[in-house]
Amino acid sequence: MSRIAEIYLPSKAKVIDVIEMTPDSKLFMVMPEMPFKYKPGQFVMFSLWGVGEVPISIASTFGVQKHIELCVRRVGHVTSAIHRLKTGDDIGIRGPFGNAFPITNARGKDTLFVAGGVGIAPLRYLINEVIKNKKDFRRIELIYGSRNPSEILFMDDINSWQKKGINVVLTVDRKDKDWRGNTGIVTEHLNKAKVSFKDAHAFICGPSVMIKAVMQDISQLGMYEENIFTTLESHMKCGVGKCGHCYADGKYICIDGPVFSYREIRQYNLNCTP
Amino acid sequence: MNKGMVLEKSKLSYWLRQLRKEMSLIGPMRGENSDIVFKTVENIHEIVLDCPASIPSPKEFLFPQKEKMFRYSKDGVENLRGNKGRLIFGVRSCDISAITLLDRFYGGKFVDDYYMSRRNNTIFISIGCNNPDITCFCIGLGSGPFLSSGFDIQLSDLGDRYLVEIGSKHGLEIIKDFIHLFSRPKKLDYDDQYEAILSSQARFEKRINLENARQKILSGQVNDSFWEVVAQRCFECGGCVYECPLCTCFNVIDRPYSPTDGVRLRVWDTCLFKGFTKMAGNIWPAEKKIMRTKRWYFHKLIYYPEQFGKFGCVGCGRCTITCPGRIDMATIASKIDMGDRRRKGGGG
Ligand SMILES: Cc1cc2nc3c(=O)[nH]c(=O)nc-3n(C[C@H](O)[C@H](O)[C@H](O)COP(=O)(O)OP(=O)(O)OC[C@H]3O[C@@H](n4cnc5c(N)ncnc54)[C@H](O)[C@@H]3O)c2cc1C
Ligand code: SF4
Ligand code: SF4
Ligand code: FES
Repeated sequence: MSRIAEIYLPSKAKVIDVIEMTPDSKLFMVMPEMPFKYKPGQFVMFSLWGVGEVPISIASTFGVQKHIELCVRRVGHVTSAIHRLKTGDDIGIRGPFGNAFPITNARGKDTLFVAGGVGIAPLRYLINEVIKNKKDFRRIELIYGSRNPSEILFMDDINSWQKKGINVVLTVDRKDKDWRGNTGIVTEHLNKAKVSFKDAHAFICGPSVMIKAVMQDISQLGMYEENIFTTLESHMKCGVGKCGHCYADGKYICIDGPVFSYREIRQYNLNCTP
Repeated sequence: MNKGMVLEKSKLSYWLRQLRKEMSLIGPMRGENSDIVFKTVENIHEIVLDCPASIPSPKEFLFPQKEKMFRYSKDGVENLRGNKGRLIFGVRSCDISAITLLDRFYGGKFVDDYYMSRRNNTIFISIGCNNPDITCFCIGLGSGPFLSSGFDIQLSDLGDRYLVEIGSKHGLEIIKDFIHLFSRPKKLDYDDQYEAILSSQARFEKRINLENARQKILSGQVNDSFWEVVAQRCFECGGCVYECPLCTCFNVIDRPYSPTDGVRLRVWDTCLFKGFTKMAGNIWPAEKKIMRTKRWYFHKLIYYPEQFGKFGCVGCGRCTITCPGRIDMATIASKIDMGDRRRKGGGG
């Protein structure tokens, strides 16, 4: 009989570095014992023995380095334990799981990225990928909102993206004394995007309230619902379409998603603002 | 496949006794509260046939209520997947139909190795139902009382003998070494089976039309005020889910023995519990009970057919026996189906 793949068995990985990004998010550099290929928008199940397993988006770009990067916000039981990890600790990893951001159809068009908070992490690979093939795309813009200036993640990346010609609009909810930039939530700055909305694709990631507001607004600005993409979150226990936790309106967020278009979200009535 | 043989009833226990030498034998027996439970057979004469539905369904032998998935330690992870060979005797047609569907659910792009390795080592001998329970409604669903495919071995009780139908390679395995016990079927045997099927079909007290219910839901004839009443009656005990042969949700938990050593388990869970979809930050996607009640019914009546072309219900009637709020599948589906007619008839 042919061997059945062990889909629930995490493989070993080592934490090789931990970078504190904001008071509640850390970036973990993780070296998997068995390297794997992944696509922008996919996630892994991050296991801590004796604590549990949670879905985390891959924040690194495949092929750039051997390790993967995972940006984790401390919000509860497992993520707090993850935050206690130190360089050299062993963890378990399963994946990659889920579909990916579709970029083939965005070629030849304007591309708008909208990120809020840690939502920048899952978009990072995608932005790098689009910039790498910059000549295939028209205008590329990023609108990125953070709670305050010290919580802007991946500033090095943002600088390099700007150098490569993408238009970046940063905004913060609360400014500090040194901040000279924009304030307010991302939806207040959508009109700053110089993309032609009718002929653009958008990729959005952030807190669910923000996602919903942004999707609504940019579709009102003229973008087609089927060209607006986001990645949904839900409680997940398996990542492979079996445990039922992420099941909503006939779709498994873990295998049919987590990336969905605004059209699908409306058609299936997927809950993006729980 | 579906080849037929005949086995005299007096030879059944000999056959089972021989088979038990090779694999563990599980069958329906009386439990402590005179419920019917499937368990390992010590004495073959204790097997009870012609009994009410077992609680829970035999899905537990492929997808146990609690199962150790793997052990983790400093040395790595060790899969604790169980797969010893088992023969499960006396399973009902509806439960076999459910397992046929579970095979598709646990298969697919990601194959559930825990389910599948057990499944590959489990042989089922099912028995067509001559006497459906008053709660049974497989008849409208093609999932019973007798099957024409999907089984390993199907027995049809013809009084003094069984018509034995072989439906799979697994089934053939457990016949071929004992071929001397069986005889070739004659026309009379098939005629008697035909009679048995007809007479069983005539005995059904419940005729539930899930398709009508589905159509009414899809065409928007069932509004939230209906589901609100259903939800109010739900005690959130999870009984229907645990007993349903087609409910598959599970939770995953770690049980540490020491800081570096422990096991990861999976346990049955249910979408009817409020915490099932809870997310960090105090976000409760299915906070209202009505959302969870609808989710259970929509999964079985709408999404299962979309995904598999079959309802997520085989009409076993277990939820009818179990549900303390009387909002089981048969009751609710017929309420949806009959709703209009009853209203027209006045009264309500
Ligand atoms: C596809 C996907 C990608 C994600 N990517 C990231 C990421 O890159 N960075 C990041 O910080 N977070 C990410 N999340 C959210 C992250 O998984 C949750 O914050 C985390 O599961 C919370 O677990 P906890 O034990 O700390 O919280 P608790 O509230 O203590 O949760 C207890 C249990 O509930 C479940 N749960 C609670 N909240 C969530 C949630 N939002 N999503 C899924 N399961 C939940 C988990 O199974 C957890 O074990 C992602 C979620 C999904 C679905
Ligand atoms: S539902 Fe049908 S197959 Fe199941 S026990 Fe009743 S009669 Fe038999
Ligand atoms: S929904 Fe009820 S009747 Fe239908 S298969 Fe499940 S337990 Fe049996
Ligand atoms: S996470 Fe288990 S079904 Fe999606």
